[in-house]
Amino acid sequence: MLDGLFRNTLSPLQWSLMLAIPPAILALYFLKLKRMPIEVPSTYLWRKSIEDLRVNSFWQRLRQSILLLLQLLLVALAIFALLRPGWEGTELGGERIIFLVDNSASMGTEDVADAKDRLASAKKKVAGLIDQLDSSMSAMIIAFADTPHVVQQFTGSQGVLRERLESIELTSQPTNLLEALKLAGGLANPGQMTLQDSGVEVEVIEPVTTSLYIFSDGRFEDVEGFDLGGLDPSYVPLGSTDTANLAVTAFSTRRNEVRPEEREAFVQVTNFTEADQDVVVEVQLDGQFLDAKQASLEAGKSASLSFPLADAPPGRLTATIDAESLTAASDRLKIDNEAYAGLNRQEQGKVLLVTQGNKVLEAALSTERAGRIADLTVITPAGLDTEEYKRDAQSGEYALIIYDVCAPAEMPRSHTLFIGSRPPLAGWQGKPEVDAERFPQVIDWNRAHPLLAYVELSDLWIYESQLVDPPQGGTALIDSSNGPLMAIAPRDSYEDVVLGFPIIVYRDGSAMGNTRWFRRRSFPTFWLNTLSYLVGQLAGDAANQAEPGEPIEFRPVTNVPEVVVRSPSGAKTTLTRSGDTTFQFQDTAEPGVYEVLERGQVSKRFAVNLFDRQESDVRLRASQQEAGPGIDSIRIGYTDVTAEAGGAPARKELWQLLLALALVVLMAEWYVCNRRVYI
Amino acid sequence: MPISPPELLPPDLMSQLERLELVTRKVFRGRMKGERRSKRKGESVEFADYRNYTPGDDLRRVDWNLYARLDKLILKLFLEEEDLHFYTLIDASPSMAFGEPTKLEYAKRLAAALGFIGLVKSDRVVIETLGQGLRDRSPVLRGRKSVWRMLEQLSQIEPDQDGSLSEGVKRFCLRNAGKGVVVLISDLMDKQGYEPALKYLMAQRVDVYLIHVLSQEEIDPDVTGDLRLVDCEDQDFAEITVSAPLLSRYKQTLAAFTAGAQEFCSKRGMAYLLANNQMPVNELMTNYMRRRGLVR
Repeated sequence: MLDGLFRNTLSPLQWSLMLAIPPAILALYFLKLKRMPIEVPSTYLWRKSIEDLRVNSFWQRLRQSILLLLQLLLVALAIFALLRPGWEGTELGGERIIFLVDNSASMGTEDVADAKDRLASAKKKVAGLIDQLDSSMSAMIIAFADTPHVVQQFTGSQGVLRERLESIELTSQPTNLLEALKLAGGLANPGQMTLQDSGVEVEVIEPVTTSLYIFSDGRFEDVEGFDLGGLDPSYVPLGSTDTANLAVTAFSTRRNEVRPEEREAFVQVTNFTEADQDVVVEVQLDGQFLDAKQASLEAGKSASLSFPLADAPPGRLTATIDAESLTAASDRLKIDNEAYAGLNRQEQGKVLLVTQGNKVLEAALSTERAGRIADLTVITPAGLDTEEYKRDAQSGEYALIIYDVCAPAEMPRSHTLFIGSRPPLAGWQGKPEVDAERFPQVIDWNRAHPLLAYVELSDLWIYESQLVDPPQGGTALIDSSNGPLMAIAPRDSYEDVVLGFPIIVYRDGSAMGNTRWFRRRSFPTFWLNTLSYLVGQLAGDAANQAEPGEPIEFRPVTNVPEVVVRSPSGAKTTLTRSGDTTFQFQDTAEPGVYEVLERGQVSKRFAVNLFDRQESDVRLRASQQEAGPGIDSIRIGYTDVTAEAGGAPARKELWQLLLALALVVLMAEWYVCNRRVYI
Repeated sequence: MPISPPELLPPDLMSQLERLELVTRKVFRGRMKGERRSKRKGESVEFADYRNYTPGDDLRRVDWNLYARLDKLILKLFLEEEDLHFYTLIDASPSMAFGEPTKLEYAKRLAAALGFIGLVKSDRVVIETLGQGLRDRSPVLRGRKSVWRMLEQLSQIEPDQDGSLSEGVKRFCLRNAGKGVVVLISDLMDKQGYEPALKYLMAQRVDVYLIHVLSQEEIDPDVTGDLRLVDCEDQDFAEITVSAPLLSRYKQTLAAFTAGAQEFCSKRGMAYLLANNQMPVNELMTNYMRRRGLVR
């Protein structure tokens, strides 16, 4: 028990020297007590007085000397402080310990009493546990946000652990505990392996139980599909259950519905507090104030605000929650008070339709909304042989080429959509056309794919269709009773969509509907989806957003082999590509607007934002039980990991308090000595 | 710096003191006729009392008229006017040299005041310093004209390094067999105790007044810290660490000391007066001593 209360900090020799101090003070006091001589008329009365007090003269003398007592008290406090007394919240057990330290965005919340933010508090607690390691223990530190990161492998050195612990920095990323657990589970028992011996799995090394301390605010979903195995988890909650926060949870730009030539910015703010709030949001372009609006938010609700951008030039857009609103709401997390969007040059994607004549398709591609996205050009299949087409197709001039019942000799450098025909690629060459199915019945379609969003295809009448067998890596989008009718497959950095059935067929020189799809509402919706997905993705803003840490893919405006990406803080990264692939940028840890420079000129911008409601709702998970706002457990697989009582496993040290007391004693001694105060 | 004679007895104090006279509680025979009305019944013209004749009485004082009427020998007593032997003993031990004003200085002022009263009333005034040497032995002073001489003598009194209270009193008693009023002014700070000295005086059958002079520093010591108290008389030392309990104990000891002296005196018919050196002399004389009966 005493081991828990005290920590030895001195060697036996140092202790013997330290313990010699009080007797030395006593000896000095009695031997070398400096008394001021003073002449008096007679010592007669004084002697009589002293005699009465000298019953136990030794102790009497001690009692009379408050200075001596203060000195002894001072030394006693110092010695006691050297013993480092304290309480241990949790007994650190086991030989192997893994500390999982959450450094996601929500850990920057400034709602802990003993440190700057939750991460600092977590580090403090981990340091407290590291102090309890003894020579037989080894520990490891893993920091985790979206991805886990081994800060320090297993080691018994407290110094190394402490040093590496300090290197953990706050990130802007969301939390993913599962990945961290997988890493911890793998590293906890690195020697564990199985041998296939006569078909029986044998564990070569017995798994060693490893204590796992998770320091987090619990802003993540319960972890499913993970077996803790040899991990013995403890959850240390950080933060408070009533911490308030205001967050920008979405920020994007789009064309104005009424005036398509104008753009507008949409900001969604969410109130993660227990009270209603009035929030003022300010939008800036390249640091210049554009507009500000106010929204009244009910507790826990969101509100959207739109800001007309008119004909604003390209630049970096910033949406910020006003400082006064933040103060009024006692906002504790800074990172989500600002959101970013890159405002790019507004260009329509060029779309080429190669058709013998397809009025319904042309009509669907020429609606007002489609016109905002795509600049449609129509040629006949005969045009495929012209030099102009060949040049444009190979230079990537078009964002999308639609081949209506025709096919080019060579695939263009663009997305393609084949209607009733197949790309001239080996992978797509399935059944020959003569095997066309009559009256195929649509039985299922991929509703999750952006091309088929809000597209209703049930009970669709089709006269005749080819079955589309996508190549490897492709996905069937519409399934019939006989096989897929539509599929999509990637090709280099492009995607090819094949629709098995034509919409209009020509029989005896007259156009006839091969399907009645064009009479249904889902038809224009599908084509609008197609344009949005395959064309708008290039020109629109939706694709120019990423979460911190998430890689972003982009295609340059011009055909350049390398581009430079400039981060919000000004750091430049040069990206190169081989062939006609897209560029992929990984280093998106920093929230803000990233700029892509092609030949020294900013060609486009993309934004990295933490739009994560889990991270922004910084209230510590509260218990749903009737007992009140207790701290709930987290669930890992089928195990409930209960929060540590009091949430503080770290050792509570008393030595600082003792030294402060010693200082007070020292001051009292000075006062007594100088002011001649007698008690 | 010795105090000058005029400082010892300021004129305004003199005028206050002229109205007073020394009082003795015992009957003494004066050697010369004085101006006071003695308690001794004797040969004077002022009738005092009668008493029965006892053999050996002076037959000349028998009231023969009464004998004729009553057939009894009755003596007629008259009040005798006589002078008083008034001795002032000043303790000049080194311990008296403490205080502000020093206890010795205060004692000299008191002695001057008392002596003045005596001289004005034609008493025989003797002022003696209790020291080992005989240099301070006082002549007998009498009459108003001797005031200046008395003050001169008082002003020359210095603390005596070898002063011992009992030794001094003993020498005084051996030299002066006569009766009278003895006022002893002392701080009673004698390691051997004050009791022998007072016992000598008691044996002398004189009317003893003890004025116990203490300085303010002794009554309420203003000392702090770890001190080595050195006795000015015998260089004895006491090491103390001043604390509230010690100060409290000291005050208790002092109170017990003064109470002890007072009890000792009252048991033996001596008058005890405790005087603080901060108390003005005129106030002490006119109020305090009058109440205690030394002057009236």
